[in-house]
Amino acid sequence: MAAPTANAVTAGTGDPARTGGTRLSARLPRLVLYALLGAFCLYYLLPLYVMVVNSFKPLEEITSGGMMALPGSWTGAPWRTAWSEAQIGVQPTGLRPYFLNSLLMVVPAVTIATLLGALNGYVLTKWRFRGATVLFGLILFGCFIPFQIVLIPMARTLGFIGAAGTVRGLVFVHVVYGISFATLYFRNYYAAFPTELIRAAQIDGAGFFQIFFRILLPSSGPIAVVCVIWLFTNIWNDFLFGASFADYDSQPMTVALNNLVQSSTGVKEYNVHFAGAIMAALPTLLVYIVAGRFFVRGLMSGSVKG
Amino acid sequence: MGFLDIDRVTKSFGAVKVLNETDISVEKGEFLVLVGPSGCGKSTLLNMIAGLESVTAGEIRIDGARMNDVRPAERNIAMVFQSYALYPNMTVRGNISFGMEMHKIPKAEREEKIAQVAELLQITNLLDRKPGQLSGGQRQRVAMGRALTRDPDVFLFDEPLSNLDAKLRVDMRTEIKKLHQKLGTTIVYVTHDQIEALTLSTRIAVMYAGDVQQIGTPQQIYDDPANMFVAGFMGSPAMNLLPATVARAEGGPAVRLDLAGGEAVTLPFPRATGLDAREGEAIVLGIRPEAMTDPEGADRDSGALHRVDLPVDVVEPAGSDTYVTVSLGGKDAIGRFRAHTAAESGARAPFVFDMEKAVAFDPDTERRIA
Repeated sequence: MAAPTANAVTAGTGDPARTGGTRLSARLPRLVLYALLGAFCLYYLLPLYVMVVNSFKPLEEITSGGMMALPGSWTGAPWRTAWSEAQIGVQPTGLRPYFLNSLLMVVPAVTIATLLGALNGYVLTKWRFRGATVLFGLILFGCFIPFQIVLIPMARTLGFIGAAGTVRGLVFVHVVYGISFATLYFRNYYAAFPTELIRAAQIDGAGFFQIFFRILLPSSGPIAVVCVIWLFTNIWNDFLFGASFADYDSQPMTVALNNLVQSSTGVKEYNVHFAGAIMAALPTLLVYIVAGRFFVRGLMSGSVKG
Repeated sequence: MGFLDIDRVTKSFGAVKVLNETDISVEKGEFLVLVGPSGCGKSTLLNMIAGLESVTAGEIRIDGARMNDVRPAERNIAMVFQSYALYPNMTVRGNISFGMEMHKIPKAEREEKIAQVAELLQITNLLDRKPGQLSGGQRQRVAMGRALTRDPDVFLFDEPLSNLDAKLRVDMRTEIKKLHQKLGTTIVYVTHDQIEALTLSTRIAVMYAGDVQQIGTPQQIYDDPANMFVAGFMGSPAMNLLPATVARAEGGPAVRLDLAGGEAVTLPFPRATGLDAREGEAIVLGIRPEAMTDPEGADRDSGALHRVDLPVDVVEPAGSDTYVTVSLGGKDAIGRFRAHTAAESGARAPFVFDMEKAVAFDPDTERRIA
């Protein structure tokens, strides 16, 4: 319990130092507030702590009952095993090839869905046509279709276009699902984008795509970040489509992790499982840390004016 | 046939008619101002000239060529928008260069043109800034610079000064006028501000409810408004529009105005020679505040000055002038007196009416009859 104690101490001492000589009755609400926030913080961080700590322990330390303790002897072996040696499916390849599959799936899917969503938003707001509102409603409908409903029709479609069991096929599925949300985000953002700019560009002689790529897209930073974070998280974490439509050689990280953890033979290597789970969670965490500060800003700019 | 011809142009959105068979002909080098209250169709007309709105019926021609189906970029027009519409992601240089880039003008030529325009508008030191770092007046200049690079046949301005504060607006107004004098390009300028219309234009088209009410030089519009709408819209304070009766006095035509308390005043009205047949009938007398002034401020060259003592209701000092309100024909009429007038509310003050500057309207058709 070393880490929790340290946290509690800093939370307690930080406040009085700042408020200095004020009376206790005035400081009390603040103290209670910080104590409460600290408690919640610990509560949420505890699982991460358990995962990280145990991923660096030899298996005997876990099985002997010390789940919460720091590792007696630190080892990177579970990470190595999870990454490149663990038996997943037939070959002892570790999670590495599947991590690569996930990347090959998520990067094109997010890029294509975001671009198409932006294009939809552009057409729906700046090139309004009869029925645009109805069409937007129908596209929005896509946000609410449960994944399970489309499994069988999608399997047929993927077979028909020759993309069954491939990363390509997964990209296709995720793009189809991603377009709805991407369109929603960009339409609302572009609704607040001044139409006079589009007209000025028209008079300047810019065409449909020139306006899109030169004027609109460069001004879409905040909403693009929102869209990318949302799509990246959803697509990276997707299990159902990966499990349904992928072959052994095209499985994404989530499915591989499941196969690693659920394997019914041999000893359960908890330390390896923890390391693998952290690996699977790292990219979304990274995306959020890098782009997160734009996230709230982008959400606000879309909702307040739109 | 003029340089820019608007020939029986109509615009409807579904069943709603925004612009009615409008005819305007603009000569090369003219500065035409479209002025009117919001919703009168002036911006719609401008957008149609630009090609941003389709023409429902009629024809728009520039230099004799039909423009109805020509794309905005190929009309050889340039437009300055109310919000300036500068591309936020580009520098000032990028903004000015964008149109030329789209028209595939080589880089060296673009650079030369940018330098030239920047020099003209004194924005050379701003070229590498983003629009977000500029003040309102600077943005306005950049927007004009962007338009200038195109050497357009026609310059279109859509309320370009309405987002500026009052002082800057006056400065930029002068600058636009200077620019027009220097370049001599044909300009169509939309505004709802009648002062802008009067100061900038060589001709004004006053619009209301989708119709052009009157086209003419600022002087014509101001002195001889075609109807009561134009009379009331142009000028500040507005022209006094007073119910009156046609009468005769001093052997010539005259008008009689009722005063509060049963009195009446009869003013000889030499312009109203055509109204003899209407003697005894009601008309609306239009008289500008500056034609209703104190004896010292009156125009001594006028041949029809008439002095009347009237009971003053309100005195409003406005710095350079003092506005004096009296009740005439049952309405408040404002007279423009000199700043240090002796007029006091509640007392009588001498008014001098310059009846050469007065006009008369038919109360039913609202058209000018004298």
